[in-house]
Amino acid sequence: MTSQLLNHRFYRSVGWLVAVVLCLLSNNVLRADDARDSRSMVRLVSKISAKLEGSVAQVLCGNRIVSLATVVSDKGHLVTKRSELTNDPIRIRLWDSRLYPARIAATRRRNDLALLVVDAPIEWKPVQFVDTLPPLGSFVISVGRLGDTISFGGMGANPRRVAHNSLLGVSFSEPEGRPTINQVISGSGADSAGLQIGDVIVGINERAEPSSHMVRQALKKMFPGEEVRLRVYRPLDDTTSEVLDLVAKVKDRSQLGESDNDRRVNGRRSMRLTGFEKVIQHDTVLEPEQCGGPLIDSKGQVIGINIARAGRVVSYSLPSSLLMRDVSQMLNEANYNSATVPAN
Amino acid sequence: MPHRTLAIVMAMAFWATSAAFLWGQTYLPPDYQTATPSTGSVVTNSLAQSPSTVDAPSMGRSRGQTIVDVPVDLKDVFELGGEPKSIETFLTLEKQQQTVARMSSACTVSVQIGRSQGCGVIVTSSGYVLTAAHVAMRPGKFAQITLSDGRVVRGRTLGMNRYVDAGLMKIEAGQNQGRPWPHASLGKSREVIEGAWCVAMGHPGGFDIGRPPVPRIGRVLHVSPAAIETDCALIGGDSGGPLFDLSGRLIAIHSRIGNDLSENLHVPIDHYDLHWARMQKGEAYGFLAGFKPILGVKGTGDGFGAVIDIIVEDGPAEKAGLKPNDRIEKFGDFEVKTFDDLKSAVSDTMPGERVIIRFSRKGQTIETLVEIGRDDD
Repeated sequence: MTSQLLNHRFYRSVGWLVAVVLCLLSNNVLRADDARDSRSMVRLVSKISAKLEGSVAQVLCGNRIVSLATVVSDKGHLVTKRSELTNDPIRIRLWDSRLYPARIAATRRRNDLALLVVDAPIEWKPVQFVDTLPPLGSFVISVGRLGDTISFGGMGANPRRVAHNSLLGVSFSEPEGRPTINQVISGSGADSAGLQIGDVIVGINERAEPSSHMVRQALKKMFPGEEVRLRVYRPLDDTTSEVLDLVAKVKDRSQLGESDNDRRVNGRRSMRLTGFEKVIQHDTVLEPEQCGGPLIDSKGQVIGINIARAGRVVSYSLPSSLLMRDVSQMLNEANYNSATVPAN
Repeated sequence: MPHRTLAIVMAMAFWATSAAFLWGQTYLPPDYQTATPSTGSVVTNSLAQSPSTVDAPSMGRSRGQTIVDVPVDLKDVFELGGEPKSIETFLTLEKQQQTVARMSSACTVSVQIGRSQGCGVIVTSSGYVLTAAHVAMRPGKFAQITLSDGRVVRGRTLGMNRYVDAGLMKIEAGQNQGRPWPHASLGKSREVIEGAWCVAMGHPGGFDIGRPPVPRIGRVLHVSPAAIETDCALIGGDSGGPLFDLSGRLIAIHSRIGNDLSENLHVPIDHYDLHWARMQKGEAYGFLAGFKPILGVKGTGDGFGAVIDIIVEDGPAEKAGLKPNDRIEKFGDFEVKTFDDLKSAVSDTMPGERVIIRFSRKGQTIETLVEIGRDDD
């Protein structure tokens, strides 16, 4: 009897505890319900993005999700963010979860685009690019694999060029005209690759005996996230030395100069976050692997493709005007009959 | 909320590294009058026609040029801070945001003071500009102000209430051929309700030639007398920029951010009203909790300078190479004769700011650069 009572008391207190925890949780939920992209708002906006169901897929390299892709032809062509692809086998996960192998059919390095092709008996539903831009302050929506709304936000700035400023993270002097490293920035690509003070750069991307000027020029042409191949001569002591072949990633100045605090407020960003001919700036919240999917306006029209998560406030999309050109060129290269390209 | 601890940074782009600070708990300035809860404002009333006891004659109460009618469809969303229930209302909301973003672009300015850049908003035809105290830094500073059409004009900082990070500037006269400056319509922050949709304007990441002020859409998540919190994402360069409600009324000024995307804090507009007279006179006072600047010295004045007795270990002064018995004669632009001179000069800086100090040591005059620290107390 006593133990039953105790039990009863025990359960009652557990009940109270659960109630308190639920109350705390619901408080949080209430707070979230006041947010711009609360669950109910996202549900409402999903009615608009649902038009895109069947036109978006997920891209996997090996077993890793790397990006989204947007269907651009009725023959199984999709575009995605090129720099997220690795050498691992590429697969596409469709809206209905089916997986198909894909391969790269063409690329546009300067805008970080890749055209993938999937050989599968599927009724493809290509998107229609629309070359009209909503005014600043309009709603824009980032669409996911299921035609779902990943997030929505505001149109922040009209298409403009975003230049890149790639840095290896070293400075060098040139005794005897040879680029000799005298400083390595910690956390840079040079640092990760193991470059050291005193190393002499004797080769860059297969080019032998480059001058300092040539090294600078070669680095300038590279986009953030790309890898530079370096051959360095490293004196070990007065009589011995070694020659090393290293691969280093170049980073954008904004990534290299990022303090711990910047890192926290920015969250995860794309490696290739600058260096685009033209991009729309908006503030829909994306993870880096959610780039490659469509950006639509409040009517459901495809106004661009998300190409980079650049920071706390900024996501970039290539605008439809640019995509119409680049995509049809890539489709031509992939021997696709351009007469049937919907992106006229 | 009051006991939440979050990392907050001043949302200003220092050209050097931006300083990170810890924000303890919600801070109530001693001279703030408790706000009355909102009763839901009437849309058609412009501010010029709604006198109130707390309204100082202050900001001139011109109607401003950003005010817009709120359509009947949006009445609920606007007055109750709710969500659109249908796509139609969602589209009406969008249209309203487009209008507010368009109307508020002309009065949103970029502000460059020394090496740092922030934003401001013009609120009178004569060219008064509201900004954040940490953007204006201290009274009497020259400010290069860039309008959204690219025109660059001269301005000067006036006073600042650092308790809440409110700052005031003025565009110098004679730069607009006698024409009025485009300026914002003013709202009342005590009427702002949680859940309300809003439009933030500013120059995220700094002023970018050819890119007009960038609108951000979000909602009010939390209102307290000291700060309004929204999910309009801000970043360095936005500080001092304006936050508008759906009727195009200015309700707050961007101040600082936390790590989470939903932590964007703005100075409620009512503080500018309450403190207008003091700020207009060029008074600077108070400090934001957690942002008190320190140099890390104790000493006495001798009429020729501030003589250092004690140096705080690991403090900014020690890091800059100062030693006991050094006599500080100049701190930035300020001549120092007494220790109080030094104290007031330090209190006019921001943690993270770099200042040149001139001091004498054994008859020798030396200059050093010190990075101002943050008092943890």
